[in-house]
Amino acid sequence: MFKDLDPILHSQLRLAVISLLIGVKEAEFTFLKEKTNATAGNLSVQIQKLKDAGYIDVIKKFKDNYPQTICKITTKGIKAFEEYVKNLQGYLGKNK
Amino acid sequence: MQQKELTEQESLKLITEMIGKTQSHFHESGASTILWGTVISFCALVSFAQSFWNFSIGFDIWILTLVAVAPQIWIGIKEGRSRVVKTYQDSHIDTIWTVYVISIFAMLVYANVVAYTSVKLLAGDGLEIFSKNISTGEIKPYRIFPPSFSSVMMVLYAFPTLATGLITKYKPLIAGAFICYTCFVVSLFTSFTYDMLLSAIATICCWLIPGLMLRNKYLKQKKEKDV
Repeated sequence: MFKDLDPILHSQLRLAVISLLIGVKEAEFTFLKEKTNATAGNLSVQIQKLKDAGYIDVIKKFKDNYPQTICKITTKGIKAFEEYVKNLQGYLGKNK
Repeated sequence: MQQKELTEQESLKLITEMIGKTQSHFHESGASTILWGTVISFCALVSFAQSFWNFSIGFDIWILTLVAVAPQIWIGIKEGRSRVVKTYQDSHIDTIWTVYVISIFAMLVYANVVAYTSVKLLAGDGLEIFSKNISTGEIKPYRIFPPSFSSVMMVLYAFPTLATGLITKYKPLIAGAFICYTCFVVSLFTSFTYDMLLSAIATICCWLIPGLMLRNKYLKQKKEKDV
């Protein structure tokens, strides 16, 4: 019996953001935008969804008079990602 | 990248790709390494020259290390601002170098304070140490200073360099640290004059050369990104 994949993570852009954040301590919005090749608007919406789910922390600051958004994965986000990968491995094993 | 549902295979591929992107992110400009490699080796070479050719420039050249703190702060602020991602590796390396700076400062305080307190403590016991010139017979008060202090400093130079090299798997730093340890061993058998020459060799090999190589790599990467 396989568990359903987390719908918050099982979408391309949100999964890309979480996968980037899992390997780093913190990352700026510009870094996430560059690595995912997403539009700023779309990325903002998906970051907000991850934040609402409690998977990431979003810190807004100012740097050289420009707004700066820093994202960090939370403990809940790490657990959700690990669970997602575990379930994914289950699905892939079943499909072999 | 669009917002779309993924198959299991696509999910796994995406995770692998994104994790790979964070691992390949390289931002070390080498500026701090070049700065300290230049300053320390220059000071050590001037000290060597003064001792070897028996002349004085009229002031303590090592004051330059205090002057270099100002550009280091500027580099730190500038690099901190341009850093768009902070990895766990960056965080660990920053911690190592912070501990190193505290240790260097503590060692400088130790060397100067222990010389002063040793004289005071001996005086309290009614003792004073003298040195005697065997050929002239001249006897004068002996200035207590930790012996071969520059050897100890070389061990300190090597420690954060080797740790950073091993964490980042950057071979020039690892090689530089081993040259620094070799200079330390040799310095145990040499006089102050040659200790200064060895200190210069050590800092050129463990900081200046790897720093220049890092700078070259950084500029090349920046150029590719800008194209």
